This record gives sequence, structure tokens and C-alpha cells, in this order.
Amino acid sequence: MSRGNIFLAALLWSVIAFLVIYPLSILAVESFKIAETNNWGIKNYLEFFQDTYYLKTFGNTLILSSLVLMTTTLFGVPLAYILARYRHRGKTIFTALILLPIVLPAYAGVFAFIIFFGKYGTVNLLLMDMGLTKAPINFIYGLHGLVFIQSLHMLPFIVLGLSAGFTNIDPSFEEAAEVEGASGFWRFFTVSLPLCTPSYLAGAVIVFLWPFTDWLTPLILGQVDFLPSVAYINIAYHFTDMHRKYMGIVAVVIAAIVCISIFLIARWWVERKKYTGLSKGTTAEGRVIEPTPLVKLGAYLYMFLIAGLVLLIPIVLGLSAFSRRWVLEPFPTYWTLENFRLILLESPLLIQNSFVFSGIALLFGITFGLPAAYLIVRTRVRGKDALDFMITLMLAFPGIAVGVSYLLAFWQDIPLARLWIIMPLALFARRLPYFLRMAHSSYLQLDVSLEEASEVSGAGKLRTFMNISLPLLIKGVLVGVVMFFIMAFQEISTAIFLYRGGWETLPIGIFLNWHRGMEFGIAAAMAFLMIVITFILLLIISRIGGGILKAAWGPGGT
Amino acid sequence: MVFIEIQNLFKRFKKVVAVNHIHLEVNQGEMLTLLGPSGCGKTTTLRCIAGLEKPEEGDIVIDGDPMLSKGFVHPSKRGIGMVFQNYAVWPHMKVYKNIVYGLKIQKIPKRKIQERAQQVLELVGLTGLEDRYPGQLSGGQQQRVALARALVGNPKVLLLDEPLSNLDAKLREKMRFEIKSLVRRMGITSVYVTHDQAEAMVISDRIAVMDSGNVVQIGTPHEIYEKPANRFVADFIGTMNFIPGEISEVLKDKDLAYVLTEFGQKMLCRVLDFAEAAPNKKVHASIRPEDIEVFPEPPRDRENLFKGTIMHRAYLGNFLYFFINIDSTMIRVQAPYNMMQKEGEELFLLLNPEKCIVLS
Repeated sequence: MSRGNIFLAALLWSVIAFLVIYPLSILAVESFKIAETNNWGIKNYLEFFQDTYYLKTFGNTLILSSLVLMTTTLFGVPLAYILARYRHRGKTIFTALILLPIVLPAYAGVFAFIIFFGKYGTVNLLLMDMGLTKAPINFIYGLHGLVFIQSLHMLPFIVLGLSAGFTNIDPSFEEAAEVEGASGFWRFFTVSLPLCTPSYLAGAVIVFLWPFTDWLTPLILGQVDFLPSVAYINIAYHFTDMHRKYMGIVAVVIAAIVCISIFLIARWWVERKKYTGLSKGTTAEGRVIEPTPLVKLGAYLYMFLIAGLVLLIPIVLGLSAFSRRWVLEPFPTYWTLENFRLILLESPLLIQNSFVFSGIALLFGITFGLPAAYLIVRTRVRGKDALDFMITLMLAFPGIAVGVSYLLAFWQDIPLARLWIIMPLALFARRLPYFLRMAHSSYLQLDVSLEEASEVSGAGKLRTFMNISLPLLIKGVLVGVVMFFIMAFQEISTAIFLYRGGWETLPIGIFLNWHRGMEFGIAAAMAFLMIVITFILLLIISRIGGGILKAAWGPGGT
Repeated sequence: MVFIEIQNLFKRFKKVVAVNHIHLEVNQGEMLTLLGPSGCGKTTTLRCIAGLEKPEEGDIVIDGDPMLSKGFVHPSKRGIGMVFQNYAVWPHMKVYKNIVYGLKIQKIPKRKIQERAQQVLELVGLTGLEDRYPGQLSGGQQQRVALARALVGNPKVLLLDEPLSNLDAKLREKMRFEIKSLVRRMGITSVYVTHDQAEAMVISDRIAVMDSGNVVQIGTPHEIYEKPANRFVADFIGTMNFIPGEISEVLKDKDLAYVLTEFGQKMLCRVLDFAEAAPNKKVHASIRPEDIEVFPEPPRDRENLFKGTIMHRAYLGNFLYFFINIDSTMIRVQAPYNMMQKEGEELFLLLNPEKCIVLS
């Protein structure tokens, strides 16, 4: 253990302490405060678990989580199998489309589906015009709509993990079952699928936690009886009522506790179940099957359906962005660039803020993430695993918890929240795992002897890092950089609590314009703009290498 | 009695021909090894027998039943047991479940399954470990699970695809003998794939040496070692000195020929294939390092005696290895460990004409 490493570890830990541990403990402390008194106690928690309303929201959230997980699993398993195993044309484009929701902000999907599937949305209007239905069908308002929209958003996490799992299974595991006489279905359920449980679980936990994190989708759909939405409403709308504020914080803390515990249990389970060291000599492509024409047709139709639903998001938002007052008509009739004029010329500040805040957050991310990756992969400093653990844990924290905790922690004693720097700082803390993961995994692949050779030649640690490690890591680092930027750019859950006049970002602009009601053309145009920017960044990633596929993967929520 | 017959088997992957119209016969109760370097088509041939690959042409007959010409027979209907290179022991199932997986599919009565499993567990020496997960077993034990699983269904044919290549050297040597005696005891017809020539020598009744999709020689380990069909086989099995030269005289009645070597002296060699031996033909006089005797002083009246200089001397414990230079031709020699000659000193080499053969 060199002195330099200890110093570095201490430095990184103090950043974590300041930006993660301190605000989150303030949040926990705050949840024990009793309104209108100076007392402390567990009264708020008792009330939460005795009040039928709060209990209902908790139960609703659990039900929603289970339904979303069931739906994504039901649709994701065949999809992953098709993508991983069948030989078919357009594999890359289908994969890219199906995985796209990972990088699309969740709210973009909600807006698009309201316009398309809403009560007087395109589908209902068309159905009524054709005389197939008399009254509009309720496609999305209600639990079923929430399940549909959240499932489509989270489907990639199941598909990505599972299809990687299917590809990585050593073909001989299945061949052995074939020799033993197991039919296709039997083989799938007794061998292939069980072998994929670790990769399935890794995705499933992220899916299950999403309803505990996503306050915005239920809110837009008018379904507020869910834990994160109730928390948001209590804190953001009723901040003058101390009691409701504290109850909101209690809801946030409970959501965070649920997320963290499920995340930890799943992590522990996956570690235990990992079948490493048992499959040697896997082929790069895995097992590929040529299906019968009928099966192939079915597979194509299925992929078209899912990819089509995903494609609806940019298409519908695009239509809305280039039109005005698109209401009560299946398709827009008045085309205009007015929305973009308003965004780009009248309020360019939003876009500027988004780029500046995400950019500064990115700088923090690199200066923190690279040394952290080095420390975790290459050194034996005590507590490095704990450091890794703390940073990974940020993946599971609801954004709303980070936002509220920053507001509480950095207002009075350390008045950082009064300065704009709080925005990039919060984005940095929230999205750090995305960058670290990429740097971390590419660091693991870098043969340590390459660095040792440099040190033997007389170069110091820093010089070795700059001259040898960094150039070799650059691909992974760049992909991590772009990924971090995409995720920071679309962040809303934390930022919504912290922004003050003049600090609005593009996602906040979308939310506010939607809220204002009649301005959804502008909101749609902003969302469309975000999708375009995201898409350009994705193209950059795929250019850098690693493919959209690998690059896009980093579990987490908005 | 021929038990497996491979007829005119042809298999290609896109443009690469993996198996090029080969013929092979495996006798009942015999252990035949397919031996060759990687990419020679041995594993593909085995997978065709198993039914895991569909060949473009040819047929495979097992115990009188054609596997291809009268419709493709599914792997599970061929009466085979297979051991995979990486064991393919399912990590999410306990040992017992792994072993009885196939029996359960066949809907065999539970009592019978248990009985059979116990027998086979005892056979491979895994009794008491049936409730372990594969991850809790050593490599050798996993190997036994794979073997037990392949044997539990009483297969007509046992197929083994480099089953020992993932084990460490000591264990590999031990398992060779174990597998051999197990298969012998059961009298099961088996096909074994390996690239390790020592393993093939130990384990096989007969070896089929393969090279780029063709079977170049079939024979007992002894035949393959003593009478290699060509330079490839001679080089692949054991070590061989190839001394370039040309045939100067053929002694037909004695199966012998004189080869004028590149170092300018004549050498008496055995001729295995008379088609190869014609005067002035460019050939290689070939001899194994252990068939060369070395003397500090020249013995009298001996054929094939040459003088050379020691270039390198390597001590390997039970013997010495010399690299000896005869007029710029380098010869490898295995000598008794107690010879004291040093590098730079001269030695006399006796290349036993009985052991020296002509190869093209």
C-alpha cells in the first residue's frame, strides 16, 4: 500500500462522504422530525404504516412492480431468445430499436403514448372515424396503461441481460441435453433458461425497482397513488405544510430502503448463483439456430410489433413537434417550425443549461471516476471494495431521494444549493456509476503486465497511467463518457427539486410546458430535440466501438 | 465385427471442408481414437456420429442402422452417450439430477432410475457426492459426472470429445487409465477424440490419424508409431529425425534401400512402401531419437555409422538429449543419462537400419 494510493483513497472517500453519505443521512434524520415541535421520534413512520392511504400506495407500488416485472419477463424471454439464437436479417437494427428505450427519457414515451393512445388520441379517433367504436377506449389511463408504458421502457433490461446470457451459454450444455433426448421446449426450460438466471436477475431487479423510482409517469397519467408520486406531491406541492413534507420524506426514505434492500438481495443472490469457471471455450457467436419459415415469420412479426411500439415514440413526438394545436384529429393538420423557434431563439437558456450542467458533471465524473477505477481495479487499498459498493449503490437510489436530500443538506449549514453548481454536482453524484462501470470493465481487460513493463522501464505511476493505461483504455472511457452525458442530459428526478429560476434544463422545460397544458407542442418539440441529441450521441458511441448494444447497457433509472 | 461404419462422410462449414469423404470402421467393443492437430476434422467427425452436425454427404451406420440415408436419426435415438470437452455438466443441477436427466425424459420408473444411478455412481467412484452441485466438485470429479451421465443410459456407443484436455497433467495421466479400464470392463464401443498423441497411445485399441479432413492412417498404436504412413504421421506421433536425401539403390528382396543423404554419406534404410522407392527419388531417411545409439569410440563393421559433433546437450533426468551436427545436418539423439560427453566433443552415431525408414 503506497502512500499515494492511501491519499487518493482518502480523497475519493471524502467526496463520497460529502456528496452521498452526508446528504442521505440528513434525509434519514429529517424523516424522524415531528412537525410543529422540536421533537424526534418514529411517529412519522408509525403513521405511515397505520394510515390506510399510505399503506395503499405502498401496496399499489408493489403490485405495479410485480406486474411490470411479469409483463417484461413474458415479452422479454421470447424476444431475447429470438435475438440471441435465430439467424435473421436486420439483427443489428432490431436489437438497436428494441434497446432504444434505455437511453430515451421515460417521459418522452409517456407523452408519445398519450398523444397516440389517449382518449382522443390517434388510435381512438381512427377507430371512431371508421365506425368500429362509438366511445373512446381507455388504453392508457389506469393501472394497465402504467404497466404498458413502464414495461416498454424497462423491457430492454430483461432482453439485454437474457440475450447476453443465451449467447454466452456454452453450446455443449444444450447439446448434452439434446443427446439425452430433451425436446426443444424441455431443453429450454430445464437447461437454457435456468443457466440464464443470473443475467435475468440482474436485469429483473432494475425492472422491479423502477416503479419505486418513477414518480413522473404515474403523475402524468393521473395515477398518483404510488409511493414515489405521493412523495413528490407531498414534498413539492405541499412544502409549506411541515407534516406533509415530513411524510413525503418518510415515503422517499421507505422507497429508498426498499430499492437498496432488493438491490442488495439480488446482488448477493446473483453472486451466489454465478456459474463461473464451468463454461470454458465458448464460441464468440454462441449457438445459432435456423428456424422453420413459419417460426421465423412469427419471430419477425413479434420483433416488428415491439420495435414498432418503440419507434412510435420519436415519430409521434416528431409529428407533434412540427405542428400546432394537434387536438381531436388523428394526424396533425397545421405544420410549423414555431415550436422550435420558441425553443431555440426565445429560450435557448434551457439547452445551454442542459449542456453546461451535464458537461461540468461529466468533468467531475472523469476526474473522480478514472482514479476510482484505478484504485478499485489495480490497488489493494483497504476499503476499495466498500468504495466500489457505495458507488454502485447509487444505481439503486431513487432520484427523488437524491434531490430531496440535497435540498435538505445543502440549504442552511452548507448553502451550496443556493449556487448553480449544485445542479452539476447532483447530476455527477447520481450518474457516476455509469461512467465508473465502463472505465472499470475496460480497466479489468487491460493486462497488468503492460503497465508493469512501463514501471520496470522507470516510469512513475502517474506517467504510466497517462502514457500506457489511458491510451489503451480510451475506448471504454469514451463510451462511458458519452453514456454518462446521455444519462445526465435527461435527468429530471433530482434536478426538479434543485432548480431555481434561470437554472431550468431541457427535461425540466419539458415537464413545465406539459404542466402548463396547452403548450404540449413545445414540450413535444423539446422531447424530440432530446431524442435527436441522444441519437447523435449514440451514433458517436457506436462509432467509437463496442456497439450501441454494449454501450447502452448500464442499469439505472431516471 | 464392424459396429460403426462411416461411409464417404463429407462435411463443410461454408467454404471450409472439415471432413473430406472419409471412411472409417469401428469394431464392436473397440476403443478407436481420432487423433490429429486442431482443425483436422476429428471433432466434426465425432459430432457427425453423435448427430450434432449434419454432414452434406455420406452415411453413418451404427449397429446396422443407417443414421442418415434413411432419414436423419436424432442424437437421442442413436444409442450414444457423449462426454464433452468442457464436461457440459449443468451447473444448476445437483450431481444426481445431472446423471438421471436423460432417464427421466425416457420415463423410466423411479425405482429403476435410482438403481441405475447408484450403479453408475459407484462405477465412476462418485458415491456419496450425488447431492453436491458441480461447482462444489473438482475438475476430475466433474469429469466423472460427465462420464456417469454418458454411461447411465447403457449406450451402445460412447463418444468422448477431448474429455481430459481441461484437467491438469497429473490428473490427466491418471484418468487416461481409469477411462480405459472402465470402458474395457463395460465392453462398450467407443470413439475418442484427442490431439494429445501420448493420450491416444495409452487409451486406444486403434488410432485413426487425421489431417485436414482426411484419415491418413489407421492402425494400432504400435503400427502407427513403428510404421508411419507418411511424414505427417511420423512427425505428429513422437519425434522423428528427417534426413533429406535421394535413393541411390533399392534392394528389393530385402525391403531395403540406400539413401544418399545431404551430408554426403550413404545410409541403409527400410522401405515400407515400394511405390515410394525408386532410384534418384528425393526422400527423407527417417529415424527416431531413441533408435540411435551413440559411442565415444567407433564400433567395428557396422552399417550406418557416422561421426558428429555435439552442439547441445540437455539433461532430462532419466536420459540425455543431444543435438548432434553431422556436416550441417542436425540430428536429435536420446542417449543414456550417464554419458559424460560435453558440447563440442565428437561422438559416433549408429542409426539402426532396422529402425530407419524411407519416407517421401
